[in-house]
Amino acid sequence: MFKKWDIIIIVLLICLSFIPELIFGVMMHKNYDGTYAEITLDGKPYKKILLSEHRGEEQIDVKTEYGYNVIELKDASIRIIDADCRDAICIKSGFISKPGQLLVCLPHKLMVEIKSNNNEKNIDVIPVH
Amino acid sequence: MKKILMLFQYTEVNQMNKTFRIVFIGLLVSQALALYTIESMIPVPFIAPGAKLGLANLITVIALYTLNSKKDVFLIIILRLLLSTMFGGSLSTFMYGVAGAILSYLVMICVKELGQDKVSIIGVSASGALFHNVGQLIVASAIVQNIAIMLYLPILSIAGVGTGIFVGITANFIVKHLSKLPYFRDVNINEDVTK
Repeated sequence: MFKKWDIIIIVLLICLSFIPELIFGVMMHKNYDGTYAEITLDGKPYKKILLSEHRGEEQIDVKTEYGYNVIELKDASIRIIDADCRDAICIKSGFISKPGQLLVCLPHKLMVEIKSNNNEKNIDVIPVH
Repeated sequence: MKKILMLFQYTEVNQMNKTFRIVFIGLLVSQALALYTIESMIPVPFIAPGAKLGLANLITVIALYTLNSKKDVFLIIILRLLLSTMFGGSLSTFMYGVAGAILSYLVMICVKELGQDKVSIIGVSASGALFHNVGQLIVASAIVQNIAIMLYLPILSIAGVGTGIFVGITANFIVKHLSKLPYFRDVNINEDVTK
């Protein structure tokens, strides 16, 4: 009953149906429902890091005229592990990972803010379909 | 005299074909509607919402293999869509249905003509089922104005191909038995089906 070409066509069609997935994966790789950390120095954007797709550990050194901060990325969370400021409030804040959370180092005018790409939506609301 | 008799026979056969065509189209449409009604009684049988058995597609496949005119197949599809909307549907289901059915109709004709005897009913109906989903998703993304709905395609297409294969097997049996009737002697199906 089945013919060779039937199976070829079916397999081909199932493979073709994944094309939108691939296109979206490539096109929206950077802003597909993810969170990112934005590091600002003195109000100016310094670096953007994708958090939701981040895996493993990584350290970023930020040196300014006021001093230095060492930012650690661990999977999808971020913290400041070292700084030469007086009170080290930014280190005590620990890990942050949710949109809206902040790490601030006032003496160095450094701020790490976690933002989400769909920031129009209120994250506390579960969308009803 | 002989010529006149032949002419008479010809017109008689022609007349019969015409009546037969009307009756057969009516039968297929009513069967499609019955299948549609039964199907709408079955709760969504899959994890994926929107996935259906696609039983009405069975009629389209049978029509495609038994009717010689492609126009008649199209007529059956349109009649089935209009009547099923009246029976128990809304405008949105009609829009989804039209896009899906027309796209799957075109694809099934392409597959059938290009494949000739390489592709059996199963391949035709599976590709038809898949492109029914594609058409529906295109309409859905046009309505919501968000192309991201197309991301739903793989789930629907796997379900669609699954049901399409079973619809194809069913259609295979039906066409096999229909071809035993004298009317369908010249049924344009593959050789191994009639064996």
